[in-house]
Amino acid sequence: MGVFVHHNTLHAFQHLRFEEAVLEAGCLFGAEPYLSEQTYQEERARGRILDIDVDAVLDREPDAEILPGRLTRRQLRRALLIPGVRRVNGRNIAWHVEEGDLLDRFRPDLDATASRALASDSPTALWRVCLQRLHPAEPPTPPRPRRPHEALMAARGVDLDSIVHPPLIRLVGAYLDQGVAYWPMPLREEGLLKASRKIMGQPLSVYRAHLAKIGDEFSAQTVQGMDAEKTVLAMLKRLGVPEAEWEEYLTAELTALPGWAGMVRVLEVEPTLAPHDRVRCSLMEFLALRLTYTVVALEDIQGDAKAWRSMPARSITHDPLAHQARLYDAAQLLGLSSAILRELPLSQFEALCHELEACHEFERRRLLHLAYERRHERQILIPIARHRALPQMKSETDRLAAQTIFCIDEREESIRRALEEVDPAIETHGAAGFFGVAIDYAGIDDAGGVSLCPVVVKPAHVVREVPVEDASRVDRRRQSLRRAWAKIVRNSFISTRTLVRGSLSTAFFGFLTLFPMALRLLSPLAYARLMKRLNAIFLPEPRTELAFARDDDASRDATTGLMQGFSVQEMADRIANVLGPIGLKKAHARLVVVIGHGSTSLNNPYESAYCCGACGGRSGAPNARLFALMANRPAVREDLRVRKGILIPEDTWFLGAYHDTCNDNIDYFDVDLMPESHHGDLARVQQSLDAARTLSAHERTRRFASASPFFSPEQGLRHVQERAENLGEPRPEYGHCTNAVAFVGRRETTRGLFFDRRAFLVGYDATQDLEDKALAAVLGAVIPVCGGISLEYYFSTVDNEAYGSGTKLPHNITGLIGVMNGYQGDLRTGLPLQTVEIHEPVRILFIVETTPERVLRVIQANPLLTEFLEQGWIRLAAMDPENGSIQVYRGQGSFEPLVGDEEPLPVAPNSKAYYSGKMEHLPVARIDPQLSRAA
Amino acid sequence: MQSQTLLLALVTLPGTVFLLLGLTWLLGAQPSEKHISRLTKLTYAALACIVATLGWQMVTQDLSRVQLTLGAWFHVGDYTFPLSFMVDRLSLPIVGVTVILVGLVGAFSVSYLHRDPGFLRFFLLLHLFAFGALLVFCADSLDLLIGGWEIVGITSVLLISFFQYRPEPVRNALRVFGTYRIADLFMLVAVFLAHHEFHTASWNGLFTGEWPSHVTQLTGTGASIIAVLLVFAASGKAAQGPFCGWLARAMEGPTPSSAIFYGAISVHAGPYLLLRIEPLIRTSAIATGLVIFIGITTAMLSTMIHRTCADAKTSLAYASQTQLGIIFVEIGLGWTTLALIHIIGHAAVRTMQILRTPSMLRDHHRIHAAAGGQLDPTGEHYESLLPKPVQIALYRIALGRGFYDALVDRFLIAPAQALARLLARLEPVWVKPSATSSRQPAETPGALTQILTQPKA
Repeated sequence: MGVFVHHNTLHAFQHLRFEEAVLEAGCLFGAEPYLSEQTYQEERARGRILDIDVDAVLDREPDAEILPGRLTRRQLRRALLIPGVRRVNGRNIAWHVEEGDLLDRFRPDLDATASRALASDSPTALWRVCLQRLHPAEPPTPPRPRRPHEALMAARGVDLDSIVHPPLIRLVGAYLDQGVAYWPMPLREEGLLKASRKIMGQPLSVYRAHLAKIGDEFSAQTVQGMDAEKTVLAMLKRLGVPEAEWEEYLTAELTALPGWAGMVRVLEVEPTLAPHDRVRCSLMEFLALRLTYTVVALEDIQGDAKAWRSMPARSITHDPLAHQARLYDAAQLLGLSSAILRELPLSQFEALCHELEACHEFERRRLLHLAYERRHERQILIPIARHRALPQMKSETDRLAAQTIFCIDEREESIRRALEEVDPAIETHGAAGFFGVAIDYAGIDDAGGVSLCPVVVKPAHVVREVPVEDASRVDRRRQSLRRAWAKIVRNSFISTRTLVRGSLSTAFFGFLTLFPMALRLLSPLAYARLMKRLNAIFLPEPRTELAFARDDDASRDATTGLMQGFSVQEMADRIANVLGPIGLKKAHARLVVVIGHGSTSLNNPYESAYCCGACGGRSGAPNARLFALMANRPAVREDLRVRKGILIPEDTWFLGAYHDTCNDNIDYFDVDLMPESHHGDLARVQQSLDAARTLSAHERTRRFASASPFFSPEQGLRHVQERAENLGEPRPEYGHCTNAVAFVGRRETTRGLFFDRRAFLVGYDATQDLEDKALAAVLGAVIPVCGGISLEYYFSTVDNEAYGSGTKLPHNITGLIGVMNGYQGDLRTGLPLQTVEIHEPVRILFIVETTPERVLRVIQANPLLTEFLEQGWIRLAAMDPENGSIQVYRGQGSFEPLVGDEEPLPVAPNSKAYYSGKMEHLPVARIDPQLSRAA
Repeated sequence: MQSQTLLLALVTLPGTVFLLLGLTWLLGAQPSEKHISRLTKLTYAALACIVATLGWQMVTQDLSRVQLTLGAWFHVGDYTFPLSFMVDRLSLPIVGVTVILVGLVGAFSVSYLHRDPGFLRFFLLLHLFAFGALLVFCADSLDLLIGGWEIVGITSVLLISFFQYRPEPVRNALRVFGTYRIADLFMLVAVFLAHHEFHTASWNGLFTGEWPSHVTQLTGTGASIIAVLLVFAASGKAAQGPFCGWLARAMEGPTPSSAIFYGAISVHAGPYLLLRIEPLIRTSAIATGLVIFIGITTAMLSTMIHRTCADAKTSLAYASQTQLGIIFVEIGLGWTTLALIHIIGHAAVRTMQILRTPSMLRDHHRIHAAAGGQLDPTGEHYESLLPKPVQIALYRIALGRGFYDALVDRFLIAPAQALARLLARLEPVWVKPSATSSRQPAETPGALTQILTQPKA
């Protein structure tokens, strides 16, 4: 979990179209592809989906005539979506017929035409025709079981997984453990399979039911010297799986415990991801173990491990009544009376039934989802277009008070907006939060170097934080005290759990833990302040600097292959890569603040999911600090001017800062290096940022049910700070939840727009990027990152149990590598319920401020981006930088201009006035301070 | 205020809150989270004040016990069910810790369970549990204690299965329930025997003097059998000896309920019972030996298992079991005051540790970084002292959790199920089957698979 970073949950299916992939993956993982039909219908009822959206979606689908002159496919589907079908299935149909009012009267919510057509008809007559004419075909023969578990479950009600999983989980858990267990598993150096064989095969063991022969089996394997692959082959043979079906069968076995299998695979491919102990992992060994257990249990239960192949997976029930009821329901929606239905020629009747079956529940959910996304698209694009047509909001000063560069993260949207509201003379820009510097970094308090860059990048440069010369004594003292502290805490951790030490420490010191515990639970903030004060007294922080400069050209460390720091040219390249795309090429303000972000919270095994995605799920503070230091070097500026044409005025000073998105604290780095002439500028910026973070924190509290809507901004800030320190707070912040849009373009275009913290704002100026080089770089980074975030939230929301990790409350950290439910279960992947509960699952909408041709050319030049776009994993719109006209991508290289103006653009004098007292998602609005001035 | 009144308020307050919330719910109103949270905080603040006042009065007025007799609930022949409460130097500290810890866990849960659909259910059960626990600690007789004992048991089971839509928690809750039922049988029989032999099951009747120097006049086989039965009953609650397998399974519930039940109060009800009947154990060499034996074997086994556990909560469950074993030994050796101190200290430590399990990753990484990236390896003395084959054999036992589940499954549950199946087969022979058969409406599982396997149109 150290590097838990967002990516597409269905990464393995990304080569398919989104709509196919969700079904296939849903089938494999037993997961839902979309939200439930009922949820979409509720969204329709509250106006989140409009009828025009459904129509527009159906217009894009192929049409066909079903009943000549009477009914087309579009009409049929529309009737099934609006007002929607009744849920009848094998489970409830008998009740509906016998006890419910299904046959008493027609549906009350029919439209006028349909009810007129049915006026002289009776429900029983219609029902009788449905019964008479529709004779659903027998279902196909029951499918073959994919794995023995299914066969055994169907035939005998025996849960094979509940026999195989517990020992398997225990073995793999102990094997992968990174330091929870006091006594690590012996024989780990021999690999999972050999260690398990030796340990489990001990002569004195008592095995669980149906596993009595596992010891003998393991010994036999050892004697024959079978390696993992041989074992798997032997077991496949004993299970009677023919070679052609191996892949399918093994996939089915692996997806039975996807979390653990996935973890083994990840650590096999990338052993360095293990946080402490690198253990040799092999998915083949895991499989060998799993299959051995399966075979032994099967042979014990059935006497034959092959018999499952000829058993049915489950009994499919033939339920004609449900089919007939669906026809009955559809006939009402379409206004087909019993007479018409009775008279239909057979071919037409069959075509009707066929169409009806083809528009099954998943198809209806797909259409509703598209309609849901279409409304979202229009709720975003139309207000943006309206805003673009209004006068731009620009500061009217000659020279800006300051410029700030934030991460593109949508959680920074509110503080950027607040900052511009507080001080219109400050400009905000957005760049990926590692600020172009991919580094291997260790701070003075860190144990070792970590990569601060997107996970796909391998850093080549080492940067270290070191104490400044006269502070080295302070640092030494600090580090030795920290060591001592670690020893005490570690010892007390262990000694309260063991036998002898445990009894002494719990008996004699246990009572004392009550007091800090009481303070901590009752007033988390007071406890945190106390700790901070104690830290300041006993562990003063030394002044530090970054060691990042390199004189020689390429001296690599012999063992790691990493270079020490950056040369002047390398520094200039990195600065240009950030300043270029956002258009900051000249006339900088006197102060440029570069703000990295991260998140600190207690009670959060998912911490890295909240940090900066562009920094590999870590804090981007060192990157911001480093960027500022590099940009302040005269040699770098000279190089920038000569080679890149970027002019940084002499009186411009760059300053690094860090924003904690959880408690909304902002820290500044290297203020002491700043020339005295700039202190006044800093004071102003600090004041504005303080006001902005308070307002932004207050805006965040509107989403929290436990915060009062009547909080003042200061109380809001206090509230989020308390959340960060509360041990019992499963939602320290909502993370990327609600993300839905990524705007790639100039800030002037979106300045003054209220995006409700739902939009990634990527700085890009097409007018200064005539060759589209910057666009290629920007999109190449943000589409996979933001797309991945959005899809992970999508899947964790539509099926929180299968794709997400369910509710956090019973989670149990295991082996320091993951969490499982309760005391032994699968490792959970994806996001917990508490993180996605207010998410709107839509694919992210990219709005790129350039022409359609240019953005398409750039995307088509990159296969990964093409896959994202063409297979429908993201949505795209282009906005002309000159006239602001918007074109929406509709697939196959074609754009469609945005027409219509049904969405308004609300205007408010400030953000607080707009969101006050509201908890739900808010539409895009224009925040116009002129309003309050005029009033 | 009168000590007796305080005592009555102490025992009844959580029960009243439970009834109040429960009735509101039954009447169709859904109390808001805010109200529940305020009510909870208020209740436990009040309870803490009551305990403090009681303690103050006992110290200043030099009372060794406060007793409140409300008369008898009912009479059946010679038997009367006494409604009588008592706190003394043994129960008051435990009651104090209970009130404080339940209050703290309540405060934790307000934010932890925020927005969970089971918020109200959780707090209902928490209050009911507090009522049960206080009943156990304040009961003046075994008859009344059993009531609290069962309430604690049933709330424990219901909270393990808190996530009732998942099969695992329910399965494990059922297992714990079964274990409790068997252990509680010992207690029931003990109460019957006590009435049969001595015509009383109240502390006053069984013992004279004040804890910790109280003694019993009862001797003989009867007393010995009762003592042994109660030792087994206490073992069931404290996951000791023959009942040592369930504590890890109980970790399926939400973290705070795991903390209060299995780190703190519920499991310590076992040692409390032993401390209460300590003179009875003392008079019987068999019972004394049994307590020490159960304690020492469980502690040894649990500490070994604990050392191999790779997940936070199981690890803590076995660590708790270890300390409970030691507390049993202390009681067996007659170190009652030490045992009491140990109970209180252990409850406090363990509660906090379980509450902190969600933050474990962060805690570990902080320590790891502070130690300079190098933590002293643990478990080395096993590797240096024991020969390799012994190491592996011990590890096997620990990994198999002492083979407890395997033994119980194969030699207790499986035969019981076989018997049940046999009886089920015989049933139609003995009992005439009823003629009605209900229609089983079919489900449509795997609808997605069906659609995908259908030929495309």
